[in-house]
Amino acid sequence: MEYLIHLAILFTVYAMLGVSLNLVVGYTGLLSLTHAAFYGIGSYTTAILLTQSGVDFFPSVVLGIILTLIASFLIGLVLSKFRDDYYALGSFGFNAIAFAVFLNWQNLTRGPLGIPGISKPELFGIDFSNNFNFLMLVLAFLGLVYLASRFIVNSSFGRVLKSIREDEEAIQVFGYNTLYFKLAVFMIGAGMAAIAGSFFASYITFIDPSGFTLMESVFILVIIILGGLANLRGSVLGALFLILLPEILRFVGFPSSVAAQMRQLVYGLILILLMLYRPQGLLGEYKI
Amino acid sequence: MNALEIKKLVKHFDGVYAVDNLSLAIEKGKIAAVIGPNGSGKTTLINLISGIVPIDSGVVIINGVGARAIKPYNVPAYGITRTFQEVRLFNQMTVIDNILVVLTERNVFGALFEKHSAHHLKRVEEVLIKVGLWEKRSALAQSLSYGQRKLLEIGRALAMDSEVFLLDEPFAGLFPEMLKIMVAAVKDLRASGKTVVLIEHNMDLIRELADHVVVLDSGKLLAEGKSEEVLSRPEVMEAYLGE
Amino acid sequence: MDILPQLIVNIIIAGAIYALVALGFNLIYGATKFFNLAHGVIAAVGGYAVFYFAKTLGWNVYLAVIIGVLLAGIAGYGLDKFVYLPLRKRKASNMVLLVASLGAFTAIQAVIAILFTSQFKTLSYSVGTQRIFEIFDGVITQTQLIILMSVALITAGLILLLYKTRFGKAVRAMSDDEEVAKIVGINTNRIIGRIFFIGSAIAGLAGILVGFDTGIEPTMGLGLLLKGVIASIIGGVGNIYGGVMGAFLLGFVENFGIWKISGEWKDAIAFALLIVFLLFRPKGIMNK
Repeated sequence: MEYLIHLAILFTVYAMLGVSLNLVVGYTGLLSLTHAAFYGIGSYTTAILLTQSGVDFFPSVVLGIILTLIASFLIGLVLSKFRDDYYALGSFGFNAIAFAVFLNWQNLTRGPLGIPGISKPELFGIDFSNNFNFLMLVLAFLGLVYLASRFIVNSSFGRVLKSIREDEEAIQVFGYNTLYFKLAVFMIGAGMAAIAGSFFASYITFIDPSGFTLMESVFILVIIILGGLANLRGSVLGALFLILLPEILRFVGFPSSVAAQMRQLVYGLILILLMLYRPQGLLGEYKI
Repeated sequence: MNALEIKKLVKHFDGVYAVDNLSLAIEKGKIAAVIGPNGSGKTTLINLISGIVPIDSGVVIINGVGARAIKPYNVPAYGITRTFQEVRLFNQMTVIDNILVVLTERNVFGALFEKHSAHHLKRVEEVLIKVGLWEKRSALAQSLSYGQRKLLEIGRALAMDSEVFLLDEPFAGLFPEMLKIMVAAVKDLRASGKTVVLIEHNMDLIRELADHVVVLDSGKLLAEGKSEEVLSRPEVMEAYLGE
Repeated sequence: MDILPQLIVNIIIAGAIYALVALGFNLIYGATKFFNLAHGVIAAVGGYAVFYFAKTLGWNVYLAVIIGVLLAGIAGYGLDKFVYLPLRKRKASNMVLLVASLGAFTAIQAVIAILFTSQFKTLSYSVGTQRIFEIFDGVITQTQLIILMSVALITAGLILLLYKTRFGKAVRAMSDDEEVAKIVGINTNRIIGRIFFIGSAIAGLAGILVGFDTGIEPTMGLGLLLKGVIASIIGGVGNIYGGVMGAFLLGFVENFGIWKISGEWKDAIAFALLIVFLLFRPKGIMNK
């Protein structure tokens, strides 16, 4: 039971990451491979504040969001100059730079040693160090993120995002300064990733830079492409499947010594097969 | 009064002049046809006025407001709407959304919290009925036929309710039935006092529709004036047919 | 002050390795116009093939190197044949190809890790007894000398191939305009297949040389790929000379950066250089 709750918490965190990245990739057509950077900023903010100052969990989430918004504003401003494959590459670059910062700003992040002993939140007398309570809390936040995302994609703003994805130059001629729209959705997605990061850090109690590599960004991309681009339910489903995948592999009987590599292999094959046979993903409404 | 005036407009790409010191004026409430051989600068002219490519030098005056540089997203503010030669729709969006998207709030927060008002949907319905696509309203734009796509694009332009419409080969490749709808739409615009600038190759259509003809050759103005008068000049026909 | 000669040697070695990766990458990009992210892991295929044949099976090293280069070429050719070619036939967008290559990268890297474990391995037999040359005040090993010579040879060979043969003429015609090339009767898919073989074989050699110089690990591909891509872009993507120039410029900036800042920031410096180029000179040094 404890293990099921553990999986459910991880699933919730990745569903949040998937839903938020889908706003950027699926709805706006910006192939961002830098999502793990924002997830990392959220994680580190919470980790550092909780271990080194008396700040509570919830204020640390807010601060994580604020820092991520600033970072994503600057990164988004640069990335807005690029399109398509150059966008993907540039965003790749920002993830590598963020990773280098996590790894090398040792005074703050302790570098490769990581930050242990991150505590769990407490609110209104409810103790969230109980994993079941914690799960309820993250689920509630996933619900908020999901509803906010649905509100966004169903609004006029969301329709403009899709038109940017389809033909940015054409929609500009109709009076939209697309830079603002792209920046806004990029920052919103980043802020949501920061929330996921704060919860992850608090739950797992130990973080180090290896959790926020390029491969992590690729993993989140696999979630949303598998589930389906421009479909929010798809991202939740994709996260569920990919969190359960290691369990499935273990059930099938793969030796645990190569379990991590086996998972990577499956992620890679999923991407290839989807691109070959179903580029919009399982529930997707948009083909890249 | 002139709806659109251009003074000494210049645009070159890698030393080749696409628009070369071009000046012309188009009267309000008229249909003006821009003709000329391929590569004579017709589409570049529209691209310059709609901010798709930056102006090297010269001035564009729209409804009395002059501009030396035009940002694409300011184009509607000048009262201009355009269509594209190679139809550019929002392919993976529905027909309704293709039109609705040009009617909504232009700023980020406005668009995010906009109430979906009935009058926008009413306008979409009007336009789609006019261009004969109301039945197709829920289809994705990419599933439409070529002619339907052209009609949807003109519908999107009509929805904007601008003063000046720049139409890049609106009639090209249309079958008679759809051509009729397109011609009626253009005539309606003139009837309601709008100005239309269109690029067209079909002489019969130009004679039927255009009040004013502008002939371009290598980015320069070859001739300009009332359509019957311009089209009867031998040098115009020669330049045009000599492509 | 005495650090300078060694710095120059390091710059040249780094530049030479990046140049090898960039050469193959540029060749493929020129013909296909998409970022083949699997290019780096192909280098690892070469390195591991040599490890297997020379160290595990104990075959002759030179024979193992030839097999390694050929295997890398075949791997690249196979990727084109079974993944990219079907996608091209379906007129898939560059983004689809890029995501598919990301999948191929992830999958092949995982296979290597499963077969050979994730541990770092060296190819050279006796690092200690390797002959060492002193130039001015810098030290250069025999392997590094071989790296330099192979880069010179391969660049020269590639230029001969591109400018003196019918095949090269067809490749250049395709790089300029694939449609036109098709019209004049060039079988573009067959040529692209061969380009994949050649470009991947060169990448394989790069991987092998890195293996002799420092060592191999399954994740080596990512670093090599990124340096190759960055070199290509700052030199002028699709341009053979540009790629080589970009490689040496990258080697210079990186090593100089390390000298002035610190070794851990190497990747971040490389990416910062990439982003600066993308922003201010997106077509690179050589392309207009």
